[in-house]
Amino acid sequence: MEYAVQTNNLTKRFNKEIAVSGVNLQIPKGEIYGFLGPNGAGKTTTIRMLLGLMKPSSGSIRILGKLLNKEKIAILRSVGSLVENPSYYPHLTAVENMEALRKILGVPKTRIDEVLALVRLTGAANKKVRGFSLGMKQRLGIAAALLNNPELLILDEPTNGLDPSGIIEIRNLIKRLPAECGMTILISSHLLSEIDQMATIVGIISKGELIFQDSIDVLRKHAQQQIVLRADRNREAQQLLLTKGIKAELQEESVLLPESSDQHVAQAVQELVQNGFKVYRAEEEKRSLEDIFLDMTAGGERAL
Amino acid sequence: MMLPLMRSELLKIKRKAFWFLAFLGPFGVVALQVVNYELRKDYLMKHYPGWDNYLDGMTMFTALALVLGIAVLTSFTASIENETNAWKQLLALPVSKWQVYLTKFTLLAGLFVFSTVLLVLFAWVYGIILDPGPVIPYGKLISQSFYPLIGALPVLALQLWIATVSKNQTIPIMTGVFGVILTFVAPLLPDWVIWKWPSLYNNWDQPLVNVLLGAGLGLLLYLVGMIDFSRRDVK
Repeated sequence: MEYAVQTNNLTKRFNKEIAVSGVNLQIPKGEIYGFLGPNGAGKTTTIRMLLGLMKPSSGSIRILGKLLNKEKIAILRSVGSLVENPSYYPHLTAVENMEALRKILGVPKTRIDEVLALVRLTGAANKKVRGFSLGMKQRLGIAAALLNNPELLILDEPTNGLDPSGIIEIRNLIKRLPAECGMTILISSHLLSEIDQMATIVGIISKGELIFQDSIDVLRKHAQQQIVLRADRNREAQQLLLTKGIKAELQEESVLLPESSDQHVAQAVQELVQNGFKVYRAEEEKRSLEDIFLDMTAGGERAL
Repeated sequence: MMLPLMRSELLKIKRKAFWFLAFLGPFGVVALQVVNYELRKDYLMKHYPGWDNYLDGMTMFTALALVLGIAVLTSFTASIENETNAWKQLLALPVSKWQVYLTKFTLLAGLFVFSTVLLVLFAWVYGIILDPGPVIPYGKLISQSFYPLIGALPVLALQLWIATVSKNQTIPIMTGVFGVILTFVAPLLPDWVIWKWPSLYNNWDQPLVNVLLGAGLGLLLYLVGMIDFSRRDVK
């Protein structure tokens, strides 16, 4: 497989504190890689190292086939990034902000209109950025990241501070890019639901260590489903089900069925109804990805 | 790469009063000299006649304006990037850190050269109006304007270094104010104090000593600052 980003034992120490420890990222080309972790887990530090903003204490970084410490400038030519809060020059207009970057990147001027249109800032193009809302600044940051039409796009918490419609907009934009422009995207977040809706591959970092890295489907398989039944007399209902050979656990106000196949559920409901129980609810209870994520990151090494 | 970077930097100083301050400095220096002569023209013309005295009398004002201007403009330069931590965006572009640092230094040095050219111009114009002597010493007019600038290069390199690596601009502003005070009392200071150099005073009464020292140490401090800036992690 061809990788856009590969790190080997990437480690960063601040004095004695280890922020990133032996991380081996593997981001295949053309994928959207969701980089997940709680705040302070080492996401931003890792991303800063990928962009050459920080020097690793040890380990190596290979981006688009080139070693970062050997060919940093050549690599950065094909990388676009938005790190943490968007950076901008408040006294300049949106177009001037783009122009300050464009002069360095050397892309044609028309590209500015293109990226501003892409993030729907054409209307505010000639307004000073000082007066922009947080969402607009964030979108301007994404426009800046796209300016050089990068092969690898690195977005650190890009939906931070956006309102729901803004989040959906950015999400749709991000999802379109790999197909339309052949981009590889690394997107970090502390919210799994965010990543769940965009990423094809997920890496989870906790306390500086990469504790999971695989496709989102593999992660989803960890989300077991179970069925919750609520009847008028739960305790008796559970005992009836057990006598009929159906696994059931009693909860405070419901009965839990660990087996969730259609057949099992149908049988359980039928037994209860035939024996005169009133069945109020039969719901699927998903152990959400969020729960899995919390389990994984809380325990650190525990998990998978 | 330097040229596009410079164009980008020139765009960034738009609406930030850089050009205005670059004008205000030399204008203020000559304005002070105007006040000086308007208040006691007869005394000055009698005891300190001629172009040489007119130009020498301006050097102290020039030195103060330079040191003050350096403190303000280096701090402005750094704050453009610090305000929204644009360093991380700028340095994730395909540029090397030393190029970014050199561009900022060159831009500031360029602004001060612009100021100094204006100073030559303003001093010349008021000189003609004042008419302290029949022969205008053009060589001295130019050297007396540019020598303080070269003497101030170490201060420029030092202030830029401090301003770019400080998150908090209080430190560069403190050293800046401290520097202005030192320049104010320049004649009393030992020769090794860099804030004395723009005033062109020294024990040998040889302004060229300050110029050579300024150029040498200015370059050295620039290099030290650039290397330090390049080695630091971008937060």
